[in-house]
Amino acid sequence: MIKVQNITVRYGEKLVLDRFCLEIPAQGLTALSGPSGCGKTTLLRVAMGLVRPSEGSVSGVDPARTAFLFQEDRLLPWRTVAQHITDVLPRFRRGEAGRWLAFAELEGEENAYPAALSGGMARRLAMARCAALGGDLFLMDEPFAGVDPERTARILDRLRELDVPVVLATHQPQVLAVCDRVVSLDGPPLRRI
Amino acid sequence: MKKIMRLAIPLVFWLSVWALAALAVGQDLLLPGPLAVGGRLLALAGTADFWLSVGATLCRVFLGLLWGTLAGVALAFATHFFPWADRLISPAIRVVRATPVVSFILLVYLWVARSAIPWVIAGLMVLPVVWGALSAGLDGMDEKWLEFARVYRFSRLKTLRLVCLPALRPHFSAGLLTAFGLAWKSGVAAEVLCPPARAIGSRIQQAKLGLETPDLFAWTLTIVVLSLALEGLFRTALERGNRS
Repeated sequence: MIKVQNITVRYGEKLVLDRFCLEIPAQGLTALSGPSGCGKTTLLRVAMGLVRPSEGSVSGVDPARTAFLFQEDRLLPWRTVAQHITDVLPRFRRGEAGRWLAFAELEGEENAYPAALSGGMARRLAMARCAALGGDLFLMDEPFAGVDPERTARILDRLRELDVPVVLATHQPQVLAVCDRVVSLDGPPLRRI
Repeated sequence: MKKIMRLAIPLVFWLSVWALAALAVGQDLLLPGPLAVGGRLLALAGTADFWLSVGATLCRVFLGLLWGTLAGVALAFATHFFPWADRLISPAIRVVRATPVVSFILLVYLWVARSAIPWVIAGLMVLPVVWGALSAGLDGMDEKWLEFARVYRFSRLKTLRLVCLPALRPHFSAGLLTAFGLAWKSGVAAEVLCPPARAIGSRIQQAKLGLETPDLFAWTLTIVVLSLALEGLFRTALERGNRS
């Protein structure tokens, strides 16, 4: 169980999370939905330990065993598609690169650099890298932004087959429809629910 | 063919201007023509002393480039990661950068052996340039990449190898290219003012003292040709390095 207890986060004068509480079972696909700027990204970053809240705590998330997908792709312009995957794999798992490229439907693009990828391909590469890193939990921020609906459906199926709990931030109805649970976060600042 | 013409037309034009100016002056002592200078250059190139002088100057310039680069890199990392080093070292490097090379040559003349002056000076000119370029790269390094490396459990060595060094490479290459030109010019200037036994600068000084103006031009031409050729090689090598 992931427990978010009384989290408060401010960016300067702006209050983003206000004594926010949430409990999510650590299983299946859980979506955090809500309008842009409502605090979904901040909540995921707090859970990952990337943003320190001014008060409150999160339990049930071990950053050392969690794979995190950033809101931006954060691809390295000087690494190829295949290298982005092998870079996060331990030496003895390097042979799995093809599996993760297939996961994101990037076969044939192994030697391409990020500059040559479309927005959707770059997003899928970022997702494949996150999945290849692996862990006990996936926290994914807008994983399907820019990905076409057919691929989104297929990749969601593969994500489910990995049998790792996933918490993802999204406002895509197609993604929300297949998640096991949806947590709606409406309008900033997020308050106790 | 077009490329050759683009190079040849300006060359022929400026050689013609030079030849006409030399004809107008009419004295080799003041302005020798391109034929006289070319003849002297060919004669000099047939001697062992010419090649030994060129070799010795190149060694000094590259030695200066090497130590200046190593020191510039080390100090850039030190001033970036340690605030006390930044407060202590950055002003000193800025002073070095602002000091005229002639002042340094005359000062260093008091402290080190004559043969060492050119490479000491070349290194002193290289250091602030490499430091500045690398410091700018370090300051501008995207924090988001470093955060990515932490979240994706990269070791420090892996972060350095896969994230930091590739991100710094364009800054380093640009700095090194500028530094190379400076090392070459300042190294030869130091050789002229404090002539070692064997050096291009020493030969320029001798030609000046002996009023051998065609020799002075021939040695200067040697410097220009070497500088352009080496800069071209250097640029190609750095571009290949960046691509790989």
